[in-house]
Amino acid sequence: MTLKATFIGLTAATALAAPVLAEYPERTIELTIPAGAGGGTDTSARKLAILLEEKLGTSIAILNVGGGGGSVGASQFMQAKPDGYSLFATWNSPLTTVPQVQDVAYSLASFTPIASTSETAYTLCVKTDFPATTGAEFLDELAANPGKYTYGNDGIGGTMQLAAERIFQAKEINAIAIPFGGAGETLQNFLGGHVDIYGGSISTVLPYVESGEAKCPIVTSAADVPALEGASGLEALGLADKETLLWRAILGPKDMDPAVVEKLANVIEEAVNDPSYVEFLATKGEVPNVVKGEALGARLQSEYDALAEVSKALGL
Amino acid sequence: MEKRQDIVLGLIFVGIGIFAAWTATNYKGASGTYPMVLGLVLTLLGATVAIKALRKPINQPRTLIDAPAKLVIAMLVATIYVALVIPLGFYTASFLLVLAMPLALGFRRVAYAMTVAVVFMSLVYLVFSVLLEKPLPRELILSVISVGG
Amino acid sequence: MEFYTNALSHVLTFGPLTAMIGATLLGVFIGALPGLNPVMAIALLLPLTYSMDPLVALAMVAGIYNGSMYGGAIPAILLRIPGTPASIATTFDGFPMADRGEAAKALKIACWSSAIGGIASAIALMTMGPMLARVTLFFGPAEYFWIAIFGMASVAVMVGSDPVKGMMAAVLGLLIGTMGIDNLSGQARFTFGQTWLLGGLDLIVVLVGLYALPPVLQLAEKCDLKGLSAAQLKLADAPFEEGEIRGLIPTWLRASGIGIGVGILPGAGGNIAAFLSYNAAKNASDDPSSFGKGNPQGVAAAECGNNADNAASMIPALALGIPGNVVAALVLSALTIHGLQPGPQLFHQNPTLVGGFMMEMLITSVLIFALGGAVATRVFAQFQRLPGVLLVPTILILMCVGVYVINGRPVDLWVMLIAGFAGYFLEKVNFPLAPVILGMILGPMAEQSVRRALLISRGDPTDLVTRPISAVLAVVTVLVIIWPLVKMMRRRRRAN
Repeated sequence: MTLKATFIGLTAATALAAPVLAEYPERTIELTIPAGAGGGTDTSARKLAILLEEKLGTSIAILNVGGGGGSVGASQFMQAKPDGYSLFATWNSPLTTVPQVQDVAYSLASFTPIASTSETAYTLCVKTDFPATTGAEFLDELAANPGKYTYGNDGIGGTMQLAAERIFQAKEINAIAIPFGGAGETLQNFLGGHVDIYGGSISTVLPYVESGEAKCPIVTSAADVPALEGASGLEALGLADKETLLWRAILGPKDMDPAVVEKLANVIEEAVNDPSYVEFLATKGEVPNVVKGEALGARLQSEYDALAEVSKALGL
Repeated sequence: MEKRQDIVLGLIFVGIGIFAAWTATNYKGASGTYPMVLGLVLTLLGATVAIKALRKPINQPRTLIDAPAKLVIAMLVATIYVALVIPLGFYTASFLLVLAMPLALGFRRVAYAMTVAVVFMSLVYLVFSVLLEKPLPRELILSVISVGG
Repeated sequence: MEFYTNALSHVLTFGPLTAMIGATLLGVFIGALPGLNPVMAIALLLPLTYSMDPLVALAMVAGIYNGSMYGGAIPAILLRIPGTPASIATTFDGFPMADRGEAAKALKIACWSSAIGGIASAIALMTMGPMLARVTLFFGPAEYFWIAIFGMASVAVMVGSDPVKGMMAAVLGLLIGTMGIDNLSGQARFTFGQTWLLGGLDLIVVLVGLYALPPVLQLAEKCDLKGLSAAQLKLADAPFEEGEIRGLIPTWLRASGIGIGVGILPGAGGNIAAFLSYNAAKNASDDPSSFGKGNPQGVAAAECGNNADNAASMIPALALGIPGNVVAALVLSALTIHGLQPGPQLFHQNPTLVGGFMMEMLITSVLIFALGGAVATRVFAQFQRLPGVLLVPTILILMCVGVYVINGRPVDLWVMLIAGFAGYFLEKVNFPLAPVILGMILGPMAEQSVRRALLISRGDPTDLVTRPISAVLAVVTVLVIIWPLVKMMRRRRRAN
C-alpha cells in the first residue's frame, strides 16, 4: 500500500460520511433508545427493529441509554455521525417536554426527523364511586374543589403531567400532582387509594375499567378512544386545541443525507404498517401513525411551543 | 500508621461532606434539603473518625499496600487499557491486555499467555458480538484495512 | 388442582423443557459474569420469541431469571466478586469459607439455598398469588418509606469493626444515590454540568468497580505465576454431614419468607431481600460474631433470600398488571404481545399460560439443584487453574465489557476504574463497602417516598406514623434497630 493509496483511501473515508444511496445500508445500524430495557419505548422499538432488519437486509444493534427522562440518551446520540448508521428511536417527551424543565445540550435542530411510528392518548381515571362520570362532570367537580384531589402522573414535568395541566389550566382547575416512576406505580397507588386520580397510559388501566373498578371520564386526545367507551375526547369538551399525545418516532443526527432519510422513512412506513406490527401496537393500545421528514419536524416544533406555554404557566 | 490513615480518611470525608452540603444549597426546595443534611452528617462522621484517631493512644501498624510495585503496575496497565479501548477498539485493546498484563507482572510463558488470549477473546466474541449482538468500541485496525483496500 | 395438572401437561413438552434447561444454564453464566444481568439478557432475547409458542418464551424468562440469581453466588464465593448486586451478602461468608478450603461446600449450600428459595417462592405464587397481590395495594408512599428505612437498619450488620466508618459508608451511598435528575422536582443534583450524569451513577457500574477491582488488584499483588492444580482446587463433592441440613432449615424458612415478602412489593427487590435475610439470620443466631467469618448460615440466608424474591415479584405483575421490577415488566409485555391482558382477569382468561409460567418458575428452580453445582465446579471454578496473573486481565476485560454494554458509554469505564481504585484503599482502612451500595439502592426509595407521602398529606408528617400499616412498620423498624443492642447488653451483663 503506497502513501498515495492511503491518501486516496482517507479522502474516500471522508466521503463515506455521505454514503452512496445504492449501497446503503452495508453494515450494522446502531439504534439508540433513550430508555432502559423493558419499557414501552424499548419493546416497540425492538419489535420494529426486527421488521426493519428484514426489510433493510442489515442487522440492527440496540443500545439502551436510560436516565434523565430520556435526556441522557438524546444528548449522547446527538454526537453521532449523520451517516445513516446511527438512529434514534424515541418517544416525544425527551424532545418536546424534557427541555422545558431541564437544561439540555440539544434542541430540535440537533436531529433530523425521519418518521413517526405510532401514537396513543393518555387518560385520567377515577374509582367507580367518584361523584362524576362524564368528562364535563369530572372537570366541573375538580374545578369546584380546588386542591382537594391528587392525581398520579409519570414524573414532574413529564408529558403526562403537562397533558393534564393543559386541560386544567384551560378550566382553571387546581389538582395536586403526585409524581411516580411510571404508569405501573401510579396504578398501584391509585388502586390502593393513595391518590384519587390515575393519570397515565390507557393500556395499563384498561383491565380495571373492564372489571368495573375504575372509570375514565377523559382522554387527552381530541377524538374519543374506541377502547375506552365512557371517556370524552377533548373535542367534545371544546378543548380540541389542548390535545397532547404520547407518540414514538425515529430520528437521526442533524445533517443527514436527504436521500437516506427518504429511503429510511419509506422502509419505516412499510414496517409500521406490517400487519404483525399493527397487531402488536393494538395490544399496547397504540395505533400506527406515520408522519415523515419535514412534516414530522413541524409537528415536533408545534408541540414544543405549546408545551413551553404550559410549563411557563406552571412555573417549572 | 493506622492513626495517620484514619486522620486522612476522616478529613477526606469532611471535605466531601462540606462540598456536597455547599453544592446542595443551590437546589430548590425539598430537593436541596435532603442532600444538604446528608452532606452535613458526612462532615460530622468524617470529623469523628479523624478525632477518634487523634485521641487513640496506641498506633497499631496496618499495611495499606502489600506489594506496592505490583499494585502500581497493575493500576497503570488497567488505566492504559481503559484509555486505549476506545481509540484502538475493544478486541484489539483487550487482546493486548491479556498479553501485556502478565508480562508486566513477570510472567514469561508468552506462548501460554497467547493461547489464553486467543481462546478467551474468541469466547468473548461469541457471547457479546454473536449471541448478544452488543455494539462494542469499533476496531481501529479494521478501518485502516478497509481504507487501505 | 386441575388448573396446574393441565398447565403441567403443556409445560412438559419438548419446546418448553429444552428452553428451561438451556435458559437456566445461560442464566447461571449471566449471573456469574459481573456486569451482565438478567434484565439485559431477557430484554435481548424476548423480542426474538414473539413469534414462538408463548410457553417457550416464558420458559426462557423463568430460566434466565432463576439461574442468574444463583449464578451471582459463584464469583462471590470463589473470588469475592459479586456477580449481581443481590449476591453482595453472599460474599460476606461465602468467600471466607472458600478461603479456608471449603469452596465446594459453600457452592453447594448456595446451590441448595437458591433452589429452595426459588421453589418456596414459586409455591407462594401458585397458591396465594392473587390474594397477596391485593395486600400490596395497602402499601402507599408512607409505607414504602418505612420499608426503605427498615432495609437501612440492616446496615448495622455490615459495618464491621468500626460503626462510625460503616455509617459514613452508608451516608456516602445515600449521597451518590441523589445524583442525577430528581424525579419529584426536575432539579439536576450533583451533575456538574455533565449530561451523562443526569441519570445518576449506574448502580452496576459502581458495584463492578467497588467490588470486582479490589480483588483483581490483590490478585495482581499476589502475582501467582503457576495456577492451582486440580488437587489444590479442593472441589471434590462435599456431602452434607449428619444434621447439617436440619441446621439450615430454619434459615431457609426465614429467608424464604423474607424474600417472598420483599418480592411481592413492587419496587423493592432481590438486592434488599438478600441483605434483610442475612440480617435476620445473624440476629437469630446464638453466635452472631461468627457471621462474616465463613458461617454457612450466612451463605444460605443470602442465597435463599435473593431467589425467593423471584417468583414472588411476578405476583403483582400477573394478578394486578403492576410490574414490580423490569423483569416483570418484560413478562407483561410478552403476555400482551400474545394477546393477553394482565390484570384481575388474567387467571381466568388463559389458565394454561399463567399456570404454565408458574410451573416453569418452579421447575427452573428445581433445575438449579441439578445443573447449578456442576456448572459452578466443572466450569467456573476451573478458571482458577489459570495462573493468577492471567486471571487479572481476563476478569478486567469481562468487567469492562459488562460495564460498557450497559449504556455504551466510555465514561462509565472511568467511573468503574476510579470506584475500584478508591474501593481498594477504603477496604484497607476498614471502610466497609456494602453500605455504600445499600445506600445507593435504598436512598432514592426512601427520599422519593417520604416526599410523595408529604405531598399527599399536604405536608403533614404525622401521616408517616398514623396510618395503620405505616405505624406497624415504624415500630418493627425501631425494634430491629434496638434488638441487637439489647442482645449485646444482655450478653455483656451475663459475662460480668
